[in-house]
Amino acid sequence: MSKPSGLVQGTLDLLILKTLELQPMHGWAIAERIKQVSREVLQVQQGSLYPALHRLEQQAWIQAEWGESDNNRRAKYYSLTKAGRRQLARETDSWERLSSAISAIVRA
Amino acid sequence: MRLLLMLRLRLRSLSQRARVERELEEELRFHFDRQVEKNRAAGMDLTEAQQAAAREFGHITQHKDECRDARKISILENLWEDSRYAVRNLRRDPFLAITATLTLAVCIGANTTVFSIANSILIRPLPYPGSDRIDWISERTGPAQQDVGAAPDYFLLRDRNRIFEEVATCDPATFTWTGIERPERLDVALASASFFPMMGVQPLLGRYLTTDEEGPKTPPVAVLSYEFWRNRFGGDRQIVGKTIAIDRLPRSIVGVMPQGFDFPRGAQLWLPNDVLDRASQSFPLSATQPIFTVSIIARRKPEVTPQQVTTEMQRLSFAIRAEYPKAFQKSGFRSDLMLGAMPLQEYLTGQLRPALLILAGTVTLVLLIACANLANLLLARASSRQRELAIRLALGSSRGRIIRQMLTESLVLAVPGGLAGFCLAWLSVRTLNAVKPAILVRYSAISMDWRVLAFTIALLAATSVLFGIIPAISAAGIQIHDALKSAGLAHSAGRAAAGMRKVLVAGELAVSLVLLIGAGLLTRSFLHLVHTELGFPSDHLLTLRINPVALSMGHDYLPFYSQVLDGVQHLPIVRAATLADDPPLSDNDFQSTGTIGVIGRPLAPQAERPRISDVVVSPEFFHTLGVSLQRGRIFDSHDFTGIPAAGRPEFLRTEAVMVNEAFVHRIFPNEDPLGQRLIFGPDEFNATWTIVGVVSDIRSTALGADPPANIYRCTCAGVPIYRRMAVLVRTSVPPEAAIRAIEQQVRAVDRDQPISDVKTMDQRRDAALAPERFQLILLGSFAVIAILLATAGVYGTMSYLVARRTREIGIRMAMGARPPDVLRMVLGETGVLVVAAIPAGLGSAWVLTRYIRSMLYGVSALDPTTLAITSVALAAMVFIASAGPAQRAVRVDPMTALREE
Repeated sequence: MSKPSGLVQGTLDLLILKTLELQPMHGWAIAERIKQVSREVLQVQQGSLYPALHRLEQQAWIQAEWGESDNNRRAKYYSLTKAGRRQLARETDSWERLSSAISAIVRA
Repeated sequence: MRLLLMLRLRLRSLSQRARVERELEEELRFHFDRQVEKNRAAGMDLTEAQQAAAREFGHITQHKDECRDARKISILENLWEDSRYAVRNLRRDPFLAITATLTLAVCIGANTTVFSIANSILIRPLPYPGSDRIDWISERTGPAQQDVGAAPDYFLLRDRNRIFEEVATCDPATFTWTGIERPERLDVALASASFFPMMGVQPLLGRYLTTDEEGPKTPPVAVLSYEFWRNRFGGDRQIVGKTIAIDRLPRSIVGVMPQGFDFPRGAQLWLPNDVLDRASQSFPLSATQPIFTVSIIARRKPEVTPQQVTTEMQRLSFAIRAEYPKAFQKSGFRSDLMLGAMPLQEYLTGQLRPALLILAGTVTLVLLIACANLANLLLARASSRQRELAIRLALGSSRGRIIRQMLTESLVLAVPGGLAGFCLAWLSVRTLNAVKPAILVRYSAISMDWRVLAFTIALLAATSVLFGIIPAISAAGIQIHDALKSAGLAHSAGRAAAGMRKVLVAGELAVSLVLLIGAGLLTRSFLHLVHTELGFPSDHLLTLRINPVALSMGHDYLPFYSQVLDGVQHLPIVRAATLADDPPLSDNDFQSTGTIGVIGRPLAPQAERPRISDVVVSPEFFHTLGVSLQRGRIFDSHDFTGIPAAGRPEFLRTEAVMVNEAFVHRIFPNEDPLGQRLIFGPDEFNATWTIVGVVSDIRSTALGADPPANIYRCTCAGVPIYRRMAVLVRTSVPPEAAIRAIEQQVRAVDRDQPISDVKTMDQRRDAALAPERFQLILLGSFAVIAILLATAGVYGTMSYLVARRTREIGIRMAMGARPPDVLRMVLGETGVLVVAAIPAGLGSAWVLTRYIRSMLYGVSALDPTTLAITSVALAAMVFIASAGPAQRAVRVDPMTALREE
């Protein structure tokens, strides 16, 4: 189980933004989806997830809205803003450059 | 967009803390519940599922904290926290909080009040659409701009100018409302038809004047002001079409102007100007013809530059001379006439500007003193907080952070004072509007708007930085090591702070000295004015004006006035009565003047001849007032007999006149004036005046002005009396008691003639002193506040210095110093303050008092007596303030002082 702190710094932001690219989601669903897509490799802890969400919201990259969840409870849904989409493109780009650089070294 | 969103979120986290907290709680709870659900779906029972979720979830409060941190907005949050910290801190120091609030309330209140006045009158545009394009146009001969123009100027401007949309005239006049029980004097404006369109204001009811309502054939109509309509006609909405008798002529009311349309100020109604007639108006060919003056106002076309205005005015000035060659060439009269334009607002408020600037300067200086005082208090406080600050520094606070926190504290300290100051200003503005002191009488009511609020807030912020910055920097400069090591008294920082405090106090003293000198000069000047002799006894003297209802243009009112005078003289309570064209010290700025030449001397060109004012009085004038005859005799009706009453020439070929001593001093310093003959006005006027008597001087125009050189002409000389005259009555009873009887006499001659401007001479004298008294009271009270603040500053600083040196004093005493030595040491420190402050104060006064020179009478702006007295007074105050601390120093018990540390 890799801890979020084990993630490369700033990667959590990328994961959240990427996850929200599809559709607005609440916090629990974001965590679940990251776990699912990464085949349980990445488990985001609440202690990291919510501060990250709040920070991203403060940056105006995502915005929050209260809505009904599938079990009829009020839940806070996050969605990407325009600025968030641009930020996602930037972070994806820099992640790709970083990871290809790292793999190049690791495989050399 | 993104910035806006961020700002909104930040404000929300700050302002709706409770709600944000609730939402965070709910969000986390939702997550937890979903986890429990998921665990149950995986087959756990409820407790098991909850425990597993809780394990996975971890410490919920910690998560919340982290979320809060993520939301944290450093500067705003810090500001908020610093403020709360500051409030807590200040609660522990109520003395500081109360002192700061009181001083700042007074100082910010005073500054805000002065700003409100300036804002209402000088800054805020006049309440007419596009009022910045309205100009006041007047003639000038020589350097002085006059108030008015002449009718031909108006016609030429109207027809030939290239830069104005609309040119209009509007002249204040007084008329009488007749046909009512007690005829009443009304303030009226005679307007050209273009006046209302030029002002750009639509009537509230009915219409305003139309283009054919100007000149001699105008129908008798009137437009009412809102106040007159509301107060005297009960706001009757059916008023249009009704009539009002003005000077016995029924006029039909055609319209009512809206509230706030108040030009010329105080006008109750506007009438068409029926003498504004192109055909009959020219410049007079001689000074014997009356000149028809008009006030000209015009609206500039948009985007006309000041440069274009100047050029156009010059062009038109030459055009006028070309248009009226006879008037300008033949007589040489006003050969240097020019037209000038200035913004209407500037024209209306120009007189107030210097007085307001002085006032603003004064309150700013007082505010500076208050700031120095507060800085001093904060410095004292900072030195007692050195340990706390040192600990914060040691724990990693940056020095910038400390400065920010200290500045926040001074802001918090200033806020209640600022609020109280704003309320105080609101009260003062209300009081000023109710009392209407002399300098504000001419202007509309003062009001406070968003600009005043913005000013107060800006002033509050500036003030808190001003008094907070020195203590903040000095606090941040603490050496951690020293401060923590030495118990209570950190000498290195303490010495710097003590030096700074002395500098601040010396500065305060210097500024107070400037204000004291200003107040001292005004006091001396005021005392001069109070003790100025009018030149005649002012008791038992009643003065009033009669503004007779128009009989016809050019009608001679002398028979009417003679009858009135005769009736008044025969009242038993009247000792003597006279006619004069103006009461002494009247507020009428207009003085009839003309140039004179002495027959038998070479005649200078017109423009270089002395200009003298001519005053028309009846022969009883000198006796009634008590002006003594110095030489010769007083003219009387015998001087003018043999001249047929009807068809009198306007000026006699030779006329007996009297002059005053100032005249003799100026024109005949070494000759006998009696029997000298003068020519008055232009040469072709061809009439000579013979001096038959010399009387003593009186101060007729203003208390502060030297008596002008006067020529007295007699009412019985056939001088035509066109309209307004004053009646001066010496009574044997208190003058107020004679008013009714005199009014009845006037009404007995003509029941439609009201008397107006009824004042005793003492009241006139009092009113003439009012502006000076007002200035003196203001500047004086601010000087008192300043000196009290500075004295408090001295006391505080000396106490601090003595407390700081208690140990040293103890040692000295233990070594054998006597109380006088200690006293000398403390007073030596005080002496340093005085020695630093007085030259600085005198130097500043030397620079600054020139600005009040125009307000001084009989005293120079650098009057040595005032400078000496105020300096000594300041020094005395300083020593009195240090007496307490000095006594404390003398009473230091060496044993206790040494044991304490």
